[in-house]
Amino acid sequence: MRILIVEDEPDLLRSLAQALQEEGYAVDTAAEGETGLFNAQNYDYDAVVLDVMLPKVDGWEILRRLRKTKKTPVLMLTARDQPKDRVRGLDTGADDYVVKPFDLAELFARLRALIRRSAGRTSNVLTAGDVVIDTGARQVLRGGREVALTAREYALVEYLALHQGEVVTRTTLYEHLFDENESTLSNLLDVHVSNIRKKLGADFIITRRGHGYCVGGGA
Amino acid sequence: MIFRSIRWRLQLWYGLVFLALLAGFGLTAYALLRNDQLRHLDEEFLRRMGPVSNSLRPLRGGPGPDGPRMGRGGRRGDRGDRGGRGGDFPNGGPPEEGMFPGPGEPGFQFHLPSEQAAMFGSESNSFYYVVWARDGKELARSVAAPPEVPRPEDTRAPQGPPEWRMRGVFREFWHPTPGGEMVLVGRSIAEDLAGLRLLAWELAGAGGVVLLLGLTGGWWVATRAIRPIEDISATAVKIAAGDLSQRISAADTDNELGRLAAVLNSTFARLEASFAQQRQFTSDAAHELRTPITVMLTQTQTALNRERGAAEYRATVEACQRAAQRMRKLMESLLELARLDAGQETLQRVPFDLSKTVNECVELVTPLAEARGLRIHCAAPALPCAGDPERMGQVITNLLGNAIEYSQECGEVRISGERQSGTVKLSVSNSGPGIAVEDLPRIFERFYRVDKARSGSGGHTGLGLAISKAIVEAHGGSLEAASRPGEGATFTVRLPEGG
Repeated sequence: MRILIVEDEPDLLRSLAQALQEEGYAVDTAAEGETGLFNAQNYDYDAVVLDVMLPKVDGWEILRRLRKTKKTPVLMLTARDQPKDRVRGLDTGADDYVVKPFDLAELFARLRALIRRSAGRTSNVLTAGDVVIDTGARQVLRGGREVALTAREYALVEYLALHQGEVVTRTTLYEHLFDENESTLSNLLDVHVSNIRKKLGADFIITRRGHGYCVGGGA
Repeated sequence: MIFRSIRWRLQLWYGLVFLALLAGFGLTAYALLRNDQLRHLDEEFLRRMGPVSNSLRPLRGGPGPDGPRMGRGGRRGDRGDRGGRGGDFPNGGPPEEGMFPGPGEPGFQFHLPSEQAAMFGSESNSFYYVVWARDGKELARSVAAPPEVPRPEDTRAPQGPPEWRMRGVFREFWHPTPGGEMVLVGRSIAEDLAGLRLLAWELAGAGGVVLLLGLTGGWWVATRAIRPIEDISATAVKIAAGDLSQRISAADTDNELGRLAAVLNSTFARLEASFAQQRQFTSDAAHELRTPITVMLTQTQTALNRERGAAEYRATVEACQRAAQRMRKLMESLLELARLDAGQETLQRVPFDLSKTVNECVELVTPLAEARGLRIHCAAPALPCAGDPERMGQVITNLLGNAIEYSQECGEVRISGERQSGTVKLSVSNSGPGIAVEDLPRIFERFYRVDKARSGSGGHTGLGLAISKAIVEAHGGSLEAASRPGEGATFTVRLPEGG
């Protein structure tokens, strides 16, 4: 999962990015509106965390312009907690609204829900064959037993399981699993896929040669 | 109690005054009518008195115990030789002196001519007369005279107008003759009195109806007069209940209540504006605190999620410290504003030279200006002022800091002072993009920022100009801003000259 954070307070931006990375997200950051809008328009993020009060272009404007081209889920961060501000945010096209100060746990839960809904899922628990993925606890069970995955492996499993039955291209996987600062070595993905197959079974991830990878696939 | 109500009190007082007026009018009218009627009646009595008195004639040939006495109704036979003289006397009034024999002279006889006798009827309510001789015996009486008519006590001289008395329903006029006889004319005025009583009742009834109509009208008038007050009161109740947007609807603003409503409305409007400002201020202050608190929360929560190295903990602690410093700065600014608002800020009141303060401040901000490639031009001759040099320094530093921050790179900041007819004027101007027209009237508002985004690293609270203005005003001066977009901005401080 790749997330963009647009926030002008440097300390907040840094700690948010760190916390989300530790949650296994690929995180891009923007400290002001113009960069934020550019990034949001040019990458397929799984979610955007957008501060309302930004220099140059404010959050409302970014949201309005972004909605012309993208359906990316947007979570607004704001210090304004008046109902009229929330209404305005949701009406402008925000998918959720979090008032500062917030708890990180709540912010994470809301982000998970946003991503889940945008993938057309309603539950935190994804099932693919005998593999059960609890996105809330970030836990993967195979045949009722917990399987230990690295953060990156988990992110890959979760992304594929969220898009079960779809063929996900390598490019898409790169875009959603690595942030802009990571060097995307072409064989890094193959290493992860191979490790996951060892842990969850050789046929958990099916390779569609020339197209990409697939989980479930109606099998 | 209903008498606490102004309407009821008005009605009560109005009713009492109205009642008193009606009673006064009714009683006066009754008294006048009664007097008039009795006067007419008395004229009738006096008109009849004359002929009766004139009918007394001294007896010719001297009196004697066996002399002819008048019987009841008189002796008709004498009518012929004396009737002619009876007409010589005018009606009413006592007979003239000397026409009757004096006391001690022989007795009288009584003879009433028939045309005058016709004035005394025979019915019970018609006039009657009784004549007494000197010795108290009845000389004559008319048919209608009641059986017992006591002879009036003759205590007065025969001159003067006839006396009258009321004996039950009988009104009687009496008059002693010079000869000592007593003439009395009377009549029962029971019917007249009954008529007067009826009149009194009619007056009272009419008065009652008028009073009722008056009270109804008064109630209507009072209700109409009270209605604006009730409107005002109802609105005030709603406002007291917290709905400050309520206003009194005053259709007629020209009368006293309309003017009162207008005054109250403007008071309510000011109250509402002041409450709104207060709310805005509180909400802004809370909002300003949200960001540093968010920083501290996310920093600490992230740090505590897992074991960290010393460098990471240090970074977290430093970020928390920055957030705390920011909150401290905000809190200090808020407290300072609150003290200035309440007039509690203890300002020194010493004579000082503002130009010295200016030079100190310029020195202070010069590194800041140089970092942005700006030059500061300072032209301040001696500017004698009275006040708090440290506070004024704070104002000047704030203005210079703003001028530097909102100036274009490699531009310039000018600060100049002059004395103008009892005023010390200090201007700080820069060559920046200026202040937008829509922002200019609001820049002294608390937490108002031209750049809507907070600039956390800049350490601005959005209170600097508000505090500066409050300080200058506490010195009895003024702080104004002028700007044309693209041509920079000028802030002007005016202080009373002193020292």
